[in-house]
Amino acid sequence: MTRQEAELILQRTFKLRKFYDEQWLTIDKILKSEKVLLIEKTGFGKSLCFQFPATVFKGITVIFSPLIALMRDQVKKLTSLGISARCINSEQTAEENTQVINEAKQGKIKILYIAPERQENNEWIDATQQMNLSMVVIDEAHCISVWGHDFRPAFKRIINLVKLLPKGLPVLATTATATKRVEQDVAQQIGSNITTIRGNLMRDNFKLFVIKVSSEDEKLIWLGKNLDKLPGSGILYTGTRVDTEIYSKWFEHLKISSTAYNAGLDADSRIAIENGLMANKWKCIVSTNALGMGIDKPDIRFIIHTQIPQSPIHYYQEIGRAGRDGQPSYIILFYNSEDRKLPEAFIEGGRPAIKKYDNVIDAIKLELLGERDLMKRTNLKQNQIRVIKADLIEQGIIREVMIGESKKYEFVPNSQPLNTKAFEELRNVKMQYLENMIEYVETTKSRMNFLCDYLGDNSNQTFTNCDNTGEKKIIVSITPDWIEKLQNFREDYFPELEVEAKGSKIVNGVAASYYGASNVGAALHRSKYEKGGDFPDFLLKLVLKAFRKKYGQEKFDLVVYVPPTSSGDLVKNFAVKVAQVLKFPISHNLQKSRQTKEQKVFENRFLKTDNVSGAFTFVTPNDIKGKSILLVDDIFDSGATVKEIGKLLTNFGAIKIAPIIIARTVGGDLV
Amino acid sequence: MMKEAAYWISLAHLPRWGHLKINTLIIKFFHENKISVEDFFQLSETNWRETYQLDEKQISDLKQAKSELVSNAFLAESYLSQGFEIIPIISPEYSKTLKSNLKATHSPAILYIKGNKKILEEKSIAIVGSRDASQIALKFTDNIAKLASKEFKVVVSGFAKGVDKQALDSTINYKGQSIIVLPQGIMTFGSGFKNYYKQIIDGDVLVLSTFFPKAPWKAELAMARNPIIYGLADEIFVAESSEKGGTWSGVVDGLRKGRKIFVRKPELNEKNANLILIQNGAVPVDFDGNQLTKVYDSSNADIASVVQEPNDTESLESKVRSAFNGRPLTAKELLTKLNLNWTFNKLNSYLKKLEFIEVVKEKKVNLYKLKGTTETKQTTLFV
Repeated sequence: MTRQEAELILQRTFKLRKFYDEQWLTIDKILKSEKVLLIEKTGFGKSLCFQFPATVFKGITVIFSPLIALMRDQVKKLTSLGISARCINSEQTAEENTQVINEAKQGKIKILYIAPERQENNEWIDATQQMNLSMVVIDEAHCISVWGHDFRPAFKRIINLVKLLPKGLPVLATTATATKRVEQDVAQQIGSNITTIRGNLMRDNFKLFVIKVSSEDEKLIWLGKNLDKLPGSGILYTGTRVDTEIYSKWFEHLKISSTAYNAGLDADSRIAIENGLMANKWKCIVSTNALGMGIDKPDIRFIIHTQIPQSPIHYYQEIGRAGRDGQPSYIILFYNSEDRKLPEAFIEGGRPAIKKYDNVIDAIKLELLGERDLMKRTNLKQNQIRVIKADLIEQGIIREVMIGESKKYEFVPNSQPLNTKAFEELRNVKMQYLENMIEYVETTKSRMNFLCDYLGDNSNQTFTNCDNTGEKKIIVSITPDWIEKLQNFREDYFPELEVEAKGSKIVNGVAASYYGASNVGAALHRSKYEKGGDFPDFLLKLVLKAFRKKYGQEKFDLVVYVPPTSSGDLVKNFAVKVAQVLKFPISHNLQKSRQTKEQKVFENRFLKTDNVSGAFTFVTPNDIKGKSILLVDDIFDSGATVKEIGKLLTNFGAIKIAPIIIARTVGGDLV
Repeated sequence: MMKEAAYWISLAHLPRWGHLKINTLIIKFFHENKISVEDFFQLSETNWRETYQLDEKQISDLKQAKSELVSNAFLAESYLSQGFEIIPIISPEYSKTLKSNLKATHSPAILYIKGNKKILEEKSIAIVGSRDASQIALKFTDNIAKLASKEFKVVVSGFAKGVDKQALDSTINYKGQSIIVLPQGIMTFGSGFKNYYKQIIDGDVLVLSTFFPKAPWKAELAMARNPIIYGLADEIFVAESSEKGGTWSGVVDGLRKGRKIFVRKPELNEKNANLILIQNGAVPVDFDGNQLTKVYDSSNADIASVVQEPNDTESLESKVRSAFNGRPLTAKELLTKLNLNWTFNKLNSYLKKLEFIEVVKEKKVNLYKLKGTTETKQTTLFV
């Protein structure tokens, strides 16, 4: 097919006039059944490079993409053009996915988006036996490389798949973010006969700023003063989930419209927020870096980071979501020299201790285990188990197998012992990346040039789009009125406890504070573990304030408290005081029906749930029937205890169970 | 990573071609024309027609197989990532016993396996029999499995109820090694892999199938599996057979192919077809698997072995001879195989006296091998 012929089809099918040269270069190779790695910046039009050939090919084009939001978005667009596109992902119901698979088997679909993890699914593998497949696409191909910013183990299998594909099947791998090292790694893994096409990655519509501060307060205050002054709407990236909550509550306090987003939200909430983002519903979305990848919104006008990312490539990827329309966009990075601790902790803590690897290997040598059993056998956190599993699979020590529909892990006989050198090397490289990120902060030259050089762009262009090259530097000024505003906010802000569950009358509760965020944690520790006597009165005041904020003037029929494991009557005495002040009757009849261990001994929610499952009883169930209950405890971690009691009291006929807790821990099972 | 997996799967399951036609084609492209299966699939239709003398029907089958390569690549990725392996007939890992028993006519083009594939190189016996076998047949099975395990022989069985299951469980019990030959695709054996997990990762059990990996259990597959069980074994023992069914037709088929098949000599009161099989040419054996001459004599006292027990020296020499399986062994390996608690020196001086043994040095270690044998690298399919 000549370019001219192709562009005629392009106009008919995609309502676009012409290809860019680099698009045609890619498409031409794909049409000739070649393999291509395409590196182009966000907004270039990479998708067309596989969507166009897909409409020309006879069979189905399968696109492996890690981004569900992107799948949804592209399917919507293609459908509106009359091209039959669908996606299979974990957010759709099993029935919906089966329906899509059936359509694919009947040849009714041209373009099919799936997550790389789908390759583990038997229904999918069986279905491919009856599909006529014409092309394979790997989107976000940097996920193949451990040297990139977003390595994903599931991509390893996609590489193996590509190696098994017959000669003459076109394969396209695309990414917007790859250094030379990542580019070479990806190309080498996909194998021989691959052509790399790399465009330039610079974005001259960005206005790049770095704001140096000396405290968290300065970030909050500058944002409080200036967020509403920025044009349009945008995204504020924080380093942790807790920070998304704190920042968005701060904005709420100041009546700046914002909402918090993180990967822990359920699918419906996430979709609602993504749609709201598209419709400019809020000035700003406060998010972890889970938001934005693959969202095709052309006019994100600003992207602000309150915390430095781990590397310039992470940073480039995250700011790349702004200003796809080419209009000026503000890119602001806060930096406090303390801030490097968080990414350092991520890098250092990214790998669990070697002993834990050995525990996992030993457990798997004895038994074929699923993830949940493995967590129970080894008492490891879920995220640690996942890191360990991925590493052990990567090193060929264990492998993932399907027993019926359930995923298990088995030991690979005669495998090499754990190679910890590889971890060391990766850690050192990541530390170097972090240094590079700090160089970006400290540079006195063009920030755009810095990023281009880092990514391996050979650009000699002069940029005047940052606070080193023409834009004014931003300095934070702190005024007493803002210090007071912040103080008021802090005393009026109480963490939410999400414990609501189907079939239970428990409602989301409130904690008076985060455990480590103030003197609250220290006070609890003194009373609990240093024989410091009853919880001090300031905790009572704080808890009462949290109660008023959350429940207002609501009356409860009964106060109950969580019976102790080892800290005596501290919670009981505290609950008595709470009940006295609020003038609600108290019951001492919630008791342990068996001995439990302290929850903090257990590292993951399965063991925590097991520890308290069926561990409580209420000796006078008739007191509960038809009642609304305020449930008091000192520390909230995974929520397993409160949820268990919620279930019990629901069974005894309670109509509402509302938890109120002194402190909530941070960084429990799932950060 | 076995790059050509999808090609082999497509080739091995060409519909209604039969093993001989497929093997003939493999011999032609791989041994005569020296091209890979991948290259063979890339050839033009003209080339298939002219160089390989394929007719239109065959070419159309091959084109169909070629169109399934992408689908089979998806399958192969899932297959290989779960630790399953494919052994094509051209591989040195393919069972030599199977190949020499079944020849080009009946050898499957690929073996689907999981587990310790080195087991395929060992001496082997098969124990077969009914699903609802009698206690005495099960005891016989147990005893034969015990003796085989002692002699480092691998026990091949078919994973059906009754005798098959007994053969497997007894072998595991006696710390022997087993091959399970499945009546289904290997990827559908889920719970089996769970139940024999320890034995598989310890290298004591190999699971093998010759059917499409996702094929569910079917009576036809159970029948088609029998020749594979027989083919994988150097010796075949029948614990109990009725006058129809899988065991019966398997033995009859084996006898027709000229295999020597040992059948447990039944007691007088037993109601089964063992005796009929013996009358049809199977060799009667006693409880310990020893050959019997007087088939119809019911009194145990009169039973005499056809083969006289060799005296001790001869027996050891022949044991030494049969300990080798085409590869040199260390003194330690030999002692284990011969079940001797000699010192290395004693073994060394004994072996030096045997004219059929030669010593080779490899990385400062003495290795013993049968004189005149070389490490067998197969150059042709069937020897």
